[in-house]
Amino acid sequence: MTQFIIRRTFYALISLFILSVTIFAIVRLTGDPVTMLAEPGARAEDLDRLRAEWGLDRSWPVQYLTFAKNVFTGDLGKSFNYQMPVSTLYFQRLPASLQLALAATFISFIIGIPAGLISAVKVNSAWDNAGKVVALFGLAVPGFWLGLVMILIFSVWLGWLPTSGQGGILHLIMPSVALGWYFAASLLRLTRSSMLEVMRSEYIKLARLKGLPGYVVIAVHAFKNALIPVLTLAGINLVVMINAGVIIEVIFAWPGIGRLLYEGIFQRDFPLVQGVVIQAGIMIVLINLTIDILYAYIDPRIRLAK
Amino acid sequence: MARLTRRRVLETAAFGAAALAMPFAGGARAAAVTPKGKLTLAWHTNIAPRWLDPGQHDGSATPDNFITVLHDALIKNHKDKLYDHLALAEHFDFAEDARSATFRLRPNLRFHDGSPVTPADVKWSYEHYHGAWAAVLKEATERITIADERTIRFDFKAPFLDFPRLLGTANVCGAGWVVPAKYFEKVGADGFVAKPMGAGPYKLVNHEPGTRLDFEAFEGYYAPIHIKQLSIVSAPDAATRVAMLERGEADIVYAVPGELVPRIKNNPKVTLAPVVSGNFWLRFPGFQDPKNPFHDKRVREAVSLAIDRDAINDAECAGLGVVDGNWINDDVEYALPWPKWEHNLAKARKLLAEAGHPNGFAFDWLTPAPPYFSRGERVLSQLQAVGIRGKLQTLERGVYNKRRQTGMKEWPGINIIFEGARIGASWANWYESLFKCGGRLAGDMMCVKNLDAKFDRYTQSDKPAEREKLAAEIQREILENYYFVPVFRHAFMNAIGPRIDAKRWQDVFSTVTTGYAYPWEEIRLKA
Repeated sequence: MTQFIIRRTFYALISLFILSVTIFAIVRLTGDPVTMLAEPGARAEDLDRLRAEWGLDRSWPVQYLTFAKNVFTGDLGKSFNYQMPVSTLYFQRLPASLQLALAATFISFIIGIPAGLISAVKVNSAWDNAGKVVALFGLAVPGFWLGLVMILIFSVWLGWLPTSGQGGILHLIMPSVALGWYFAASLLRLTRSSMLEVMRSEYIKLARLKGLPGYVVIAVHAFKNALIPVLTLAGINLVVMINAGVIIEVIFAWPGIGRLLYEGIFQRDFPLVQGVVIQAGIMIVLINLTIDILYAYIDPRIRLAK
Repeated sequence: MARLTRRRVLETAAFGAAALAMPFAGGARAAAVTPKGKLTLAWHTNIAPRWLDPGQHDGSATPDNFITVLHDALIKNHKDKLYDHLALAEHFDFAEDARSATFRLRPNLRFHDGSPVTPADVKWSYEHYHGAWAAVLKEATERITIADERTIRFDFKAPFLDFPRLLGTANVCGAGWVVPAKYFEKVGADGFVAKPMGAGPYKLVNHEPGTRLDFEAFEGYYAPIHIKQLSIVSAPDAATRVAMLERGEADIVYAVPGELVPRIKNNPKVTLAPVVSGNFWLRFPGFQDPKNPFHDKRVREAVSLAIDRDAINDAECAGLGVVDGNWINDDVEYALPWPKWEHNLAKARKLLAEAGHPNGFAFDWLTPAPPYFSRGERVLSQLQAVGIRGKLQTLERGVYNKRRQTGMKEWPGINIIFEGARIGASWANWYESLFKCGGRLAGDMMCVKNLDAKFDRYTQSDKPAEREKLAAEIQREILENYYFVPVFRHAFMNAIGPRIDAKRWQDVFSTVTTGYAYPWEEIRLKA
């Protein structure tokens, strides 16, 4: 087990290294950020002064080493645009993203799991077909479009909900539905397929043969086991929602991390983009590592496999 | 356009001083009004904290929306005053020989923390200013002298006729905006943008970097303020901003795109505010090369004749822009009025044939100013009607600016650039930035030597009459030779909600040099 954890941790570090190099290079390929920082058409010496001020006059390897060293000490650099430490900005925005992501996860759970369960139990029925339509709709309809339509209906026409911004529970409803809708569809599909697989297994047949009531078979024996991959996906979805709700956060003027990233990209704010992506990477890698270790703990075949 | 003379400056100053020389002047007026209610502005991008520091002014119009809330200047553009509205200064005297300027501060001026606004703060703000035009100002300034507790004098190395316009036009330069020196030094530059303080009509009470600013009326301001609380909320999505206005969550929204204009127009509760703003024109980089088809004046004229400017204005700005003749806005000094250009396809084809292109010709790229790509598509399709065929090139803003700064080596092949700008104060700022050889956004793309020589004479001259004559000559030559082909002056589409007390939208967007809604202290809400 220890060897497995060491190996997996090493892989995680390699992943983070590759991610850091990739994002470091990609942001620099977008062009020179000082053209966005300076007055349009600033003189060459002013641009040089800005480059020196932000350390952009040094070679890429030197810049990367500085960046990597700082990341190890928890310093993600200072945002060009905000003139504030990136970690401060990130943690200022994190609660808003966390709030939105948890609400969206809740929405995806209450839509996706019951609908998936019903689809699987009533396979090939009208219920199942309705579930398929919902899944198709969820995967096909872009969240930004859904968000705008909801604003039009529930804010402008009906006047029930505020259009945007962070505030009370009413502010949370539309962005969480718009963000959670896609994930609800993916959870629906996974719950359905996972349930169908479990329902075909021998122990379920045995349970039925033993004369257990149908709801007990489904709730106690089938659903519990079918939920494992669903919860795994939900965990990953949550991390994705925290870090990648860019469009939804822009549409609903939600002050989260996704919008911070959007602003960073828009302003060529290298430290901000690097910092947000690295934080997201660390979060995803840590979640994956934890899941891997838990799987290995539960199932010895995984930790013994090379 | 009014000329800048010593007499005019003194008259302006005297008028301002007289108005304020009433008993207790500004203080009494301010006390007569109790600010009430809350106004919310939905801002169209994220909010960059650097816009809260006048010292970092980037020379564009954007920071003015924020510095006019929080800070104040010695003199400034304000309503129909282009640069010489007396703000923190109760009068100023610009010497006849243009070698010095003296400002006298109003009495009892305070920053938001209650500390006095002093000439030392003015001097410190000017000396530490490092934004647009800082180098020019520093190079020209010989010394700054604090004459007494309210008077400060700037001496220049040579006649500096442009000084008042540079200092007083917010969308050009931030050097005349006064920050509290001691506070700035105590908190540092980063601390200042995180928690800025000034002497403007509103003090900051809450700052959520990038997304929200909340202000409260500053009771110590010298002029009356009508609204108690002002919030600026970043809402990057246009449909959301319009929905905010419709629902009453915002009272003013900026940048309504063309497709949402009918929605505003059809809603009787809200008012469209189409502020006529920047000019757009076509540039032919490298036209000096005889191999370039645009080298021939007849081809450039044919381009102009092929452009249906009214159609572009209708499609892009619901017809609310202005189709005039010059590429320089008419709200700056010495801008030359020019009649509307002709649209005549038959004549365009004839000129092309005469120039050796009876079937037209192909060029490489037409590159519009980001993000106005649809305007570029319209120009391309109109040019195609006379056989001038090209492809649209879309660039991200930073890349676009960098390529313009670099000049010809960034524009290989045959190109048209569809540019747009809004620059304040003087026509000379337009020429210097956009046309002059080595200009900051021109590089070596134009380089018309005789015009640059005339412009040098213009800058060296300290005689307003001679300057005006040279300015007219240069602009006329650019237009008559089609070096630039003006297209139209677009409307910056804003909208205001029902809670605002205004008979017409111009009461809210009252400062003629900007598309934004300042002066903030003068906006009122309905009772």
